[in-house]
Amino acid sequence: MLDIKAIRADFPILDRVLPNGKNLVYFDNAATSQKPQCVIDAMSNFYENYNSNAHRSNHTLADEASSALENARNQISNFFGAKPENMIYTSGATEAINLVSYGWAKNNLDNGDVIVITEMEHHADIVPWQELSKEKGVEVRYVPINNETFMLDMEAFEIALDGAALVCVTHTSNVLGIRNPIEKIIKISKAKNCKVLIDCAQGAPHEKINFETLGADFLAISAHKMAGPTGIGCLLTSNERIQEMGPFMTGGSMIKKVTTDGSTFKDGHEMFETGTPRIAEAIGWGAAVGWLEQFNMEDIHNHVHEIAAYAGKEMIKIPGIKIFGDPTNKDSSGAVSFLHETIQSQDLALLLDQGGYAVRTGHHCAQPLMDALGVPSTNRASFWIYNTQEEVEGFITHLKYICERFA
Amino acid sequence: MTSLWPEHLDGIVEEFKDCFDSMERYELLFDYAKNNPNPLPIEEWTEENQILGCQSRAHVICSLDEGGLFLLKAGADAQIVQGLMSITAIAVNGLEPIEVSKLTPAYVEEMGLKAALSPNRANGFLNMFNRVVKEAKILSETYDD
Repeated sequence: MLDIKAIRADFPILDRVLPNGKNLVYFDNAATSQKPQCVIDAMSNFYENYNSNAHRSNHTLADEASSALENARNQISNFFGAKPENMIYTSGATEAINLVSYGWAKNNLDNGDVIVITEMEHHADIVPWQELSKEKGVEVRYVPINNETFMLDMEAFEIALDGAALVCVTHTSNVLGIRNPIEKIIKISKAKNCKVLIDCAQGAPHEKINFETLGADFLAISAHKMAGPTGIGCLLTSNERIQEMGPFMTGGSMIKKVTTDGSTFKDGHEMFETGTPRIAEAIGWGAAVGWLEQFNMEDIHNHVHEIAAYAGKEMIKIPGIKIFGDPTNKDSSGAVSFLHETIQSQDLALLLDQGGYAVRTGHHCAQPLMDALGVPSTNRASFWIYNTQEEVEGFITHLKYICERFA
Repeated sequence: MTSLWPEHLDGIVEEFKDCFDSMERYELLFDYAKNNPNPLPIEEWTEENQILGCQSRAHVICSLDEGGLFLLKAGADAQIVQGLMSITAIAVNGLEPIEVSKLTPAYVEEMGLKAALSPNRANGFLNMFNRVVKEAKILSETYDD
């Protein structure tokens, strides 16, 4: 059982009073989570006591910074069941997917090869493949969702796999909260000799992700949705795939030797981490992972599912509210997307904000999914470890009040 | 226009300042959205007059009336943006374009709707307001010629 009161005490921002005097109720966790004090402290401690560049100079601070950067890599890769030498620091899941596109696919796929993605992908897992298609002539196939269940159409997925070389699927939809059957997707894709990339940006805060057990070729992860800082994430990959990759960005740190005639590059993850690393961010992410390790991730999922399911059941009772997704599904994450039939989504978000409720509005960087759902945007309340049943009850009351007054 | 906004807007600003709380202010704003004096009918919403960067759909057309004075027509699917543009239309229509080009959104802050002025890229009203001021400047230069 989680002690939510004790957990909330780790997050100073949850005591925030907004300019209108309302207490903050943060339901925008699928956009970014809040950060516990230990993450803030770890990053401040770096800047206050041992700020230095890493892997360059030979002084005490440089050694401490380099050690902290690599210790964080060990801790994070271990958390995700991956080898530290196969973990590449990136700016987030978006850069991780671009790294697969520019670093692996560009060197290993060619005109006529097929990439299978889905309608429910975030733009980060669509646009890089469209760009690759323009450059290399690869075909991009989109697997539809079922508009009744909001689940991925697995029959269509299996058909799309025919002749495919790469499958790119989100672990959990950032809009629908639907958790895809990624174990099955990986199994049937690998059986057809496809390489598999899983976008775990939304999945990592909700369940224990294990690279080795899943058996995918690439996992893309963002730190900031799982209590870590913004600006950092990683690509996890295998010995085989990392050896097939070429440099994505070039410059300092990633070279063996540079002469006026040309350059040679380092091997492994070092080839892909050019420029000054995100040292403070890596340290902060390491602290976030350390903080999460005190919990069973299944307990986090169960807590989030419980309040999301309650929210979904109560919201659907409000006249005019429609929910996209199925928050009562035991596998769903804490994201509950909804719309009111007459109150425009941006208006609804601003009115919810008047009560202190922070929710997301817009197309959620998933316009093909919006097209499939037949709407331009949705509102989204997304819950995490520190949210409470009482907060959801207050939200439902305020939402009802808005609908009665403004519809 | 001697103060921060045209004098004929004073009554509206006071009306908002007298609201009991923010929800009452937004309710009043919804009323202004429904009573836009110069609406831009949805049939006239085009890519050319669309305000980019808005979460909602928002469109403006700025022109000069027969007397060479500023005429703003605006339409948005979000009532809050539409309401603010209705009030902006009341503020600017009938002014010299050069006056409109110097307008700031100070009246919105005074009305207690500061959130509408956030530089958040998703902010519909501020993007629309900036477009109106920019087009007023262009029209004032055309008018001077």
